[in-house]
Amino acid sequence: MKHLYLIGRDEIPSDIVLTSQEEHQLILLALPGVSADVPVNIRLAGEGAVIDVFGLYLNFGKERVSFRVNLRHESGHCRSRQLFKGIVGAEAQVEFDGLIYVAKGAQKTSAFQENHSILLSDRALVQTRPQLEIYADDVECSHGATIGKLSEDELFYMRSRGIPEKEARALQMRSFISAVVERIEDEQIRQMIYDKLSQCQA
Amino acid sequence: MAAEEKDILKEFTGQEYKEGFVTQVEQDYIPKGLNEQIIRMISEKKGEPQWLLDFRLDAFGKWQKMRQPDWAHLHLPQIDYQDIIYYAAPKKNSQRPTEIDPALEETFEKLGIPVKERKALAGVVAVDAVFDSVSVATTFRETLSKQGIIFCSFSEAVKDHPDLVRKYLSSVVPSGDNYFAALNSAVFSDGSFCYIPKGVHCPMDLSSYFRINASGTGQFERTLIVAEEGATLSYMEGCTAPMRDENQLHAAVVEIVVGKDADVKYSTVQNWYPGDANGRGGILNLVTKRGICKGEGAHLSWTQVETGSAVTWKYPSTILKGDYSSSEFYSVAVTNNYQQADTGTKMIHLGKGTKSRIVSKGISAGKSENSYRGLVRINPGAEGARNYSQCDSLLIGSQCGAHTFPVIRSSCPDAIVEHEATTSKISEDQLFYCTQRGIAQEEAVGLIVNGYAREVLSRLPMEFAVEAQKLLSVSLEGSVG
Repeated sequence: MKHLYLIGRDEIPSDIVLTSQEEHQLILLALPGVSADVPVNIRLAGEGAVIDVFGLYLNFGKERVSFRVNLRHESGHCRSRQLFKGIVGAEAQVEFDGLIYVAKGAQKTSAFQENHSILLSDRALVQTRPQLEIYADDVECSHGATIGKLSEDELFYMRSRGIPEKEARALQMRSFISAVVERIEDEQIRQMIYDKLSQCQA
Repeated sequence: MAAEEKDILKEFTGQEYKEGFVTQVEQDYIPKGLNEQIIRMISEKKGEPQWLLDFRLDAFGKWQKMRQPDWAHLHLPQIDYQDIIYYAAPKKNSQRPTEIDPALEETFEKLGIPVKERKALAGVVAVDAVFDSVSVATTFRETLSKQGIIFCSFSEAVKDHPDLVRKYLSSVVPSGDNYFAALNSAVFSDGSFCYIPKGVHCPMDLSSYFRINASGTGQFERTLIVAEEGATLSYMEGCTAPMRDENQLHAAVVEIVVGKDADVKYSTVQNWYPGDANGRGGILNLVTKRGICKGEGAHLSWTQVETGSAVTWKYPSTILKGDYSSSEFYSVAVTNNYQQADTGTKMIHLGKGTKSRIVSKGISAGKSENSYRGLVRINPGAEGARNYSQCDSLLIGSQCGAHTFPVIRSSCPDAIVEHEATTSKISEDQLFYCTQRGIAQEEAVGLIVNGYAREVLSRLPMEFAVEAQKLLSVSLEGSVG
């Protein structure tokens, strides 16, 4: 099952329960101009359930966006993967609060969570809290989080080859979010994301 | 053969907590309880000036208005603050005030802490030994003072260097900073004071050794370290306590001020009594440690090995105020049986080009809970700031918990922050490799754990590194199989 939710347009289910062997993919998009508090509670209740959660946030105004993911591994042999990426500028504030919880006895769990942000302005704020709470030993869990800027080296590489700065930066941003965007099957939405991205340049 | 095996086993199991003895020494107590009267009494016993008494009373006022924090991932037993003796000191033999009581000396010898200057150790390490509420000995003071270094107990510093103490006391950890810091500010008894003047490289490692001995007491030490411009210092801290069925409270405050281009390295091997295998007794270790890199290019490094205490609540932090200042935090925290640890660090980046690095290794075994909690904060204006954090957890057995609670907050577009964390168990392959070559399972676990913690252990000063490695394997005894 694959679901795509546009925050602000679609209603996002706050509780998702996966039973045995169920597979689910979730994409959450927060595009410019939308402020929202997005709680997502996912329970992997049956053995062998698999969930992929992808999130994208592009905020260049005064938006306040917060993702609160509570992913609970309640059974063994489940797999979960989360990837949240975003670009935050102007006076926007984005918060990512993601918990991976592995219950006692949920052995052979594999859980992975990533959150990467690019910060464009010193009035913007990104706060990330990737959390692991683990009560079983035979597990592989990890998370990674970064907050950074567009690479100067990449920019220099492109500019030295005659690509104007604006264009080069747009390319960098496109590539930064591509890991999430390529999961989106709807061509229209993909185009919309790229349009919004170029608007932020202007 | 069998007898030999038994001997080895006996030796091994007997190792459990070898610092758990009690020293029989006549002690001077004040009554139980906590109120203004008690604070006045502590202050009077120590012959303190009025300003320090005022400082204590002010902190007590703040503490009364505060609530004990409950955000940590800990089950803290109910602490009855009125049921604690806040001051206990070994009675001094007034005829020979310059000599250390032989019983105390023996205690510290037994713990491997040299309280008398020995030729063989000369130039290696200077020690300030704190027994319950007072400092009993500080070695190598003469040698150090020739270079202008002040290293003495906190009480002496208040008498001999009141200006310095007054200037820096609570400049990093305000008296109302948090519940336990406020409590400490009100009732603190003794600790170490260290001042390195401008441009001086401290010729030997300085060390504080804390020992809780008296029953029904708490230890509230206060350490203040000041390194002026261009000074360097390596500081070590160790702690032990007797085995008792009660929980004893240890609420310390450590403040470190690092001047321009100064370099301070602070290492801790914490081995308070962790309680027995059923979770009875043990020290409640609730401490506030914070340093400030005040000047440009200042550097502060925290290294900690936490193996003891029933409960650990400790977040050595650095405020990176000076431009291009840097800080590191290296930690190994081991919990076994019913121990609980909630520990980590805070790195507050204020200055330009500030750098910090966090490496935390948690090991949980038995029925213990081990959490990493940290904050990396990049303020606007901290251009070019850089942080890298790595938090790994190792689980041994299916009854324990390992948790990671980091917070990363950035509002500087020119900063780069990276954090990664992993949780796993000891790999079957590695274990198999060892056991297949005739290394016993328990030994193999010790070997693998030491390898896992190596990155942190290698940062420790020599004397500590050996002790820490031994401690690691002792702490994990009985956790396999």
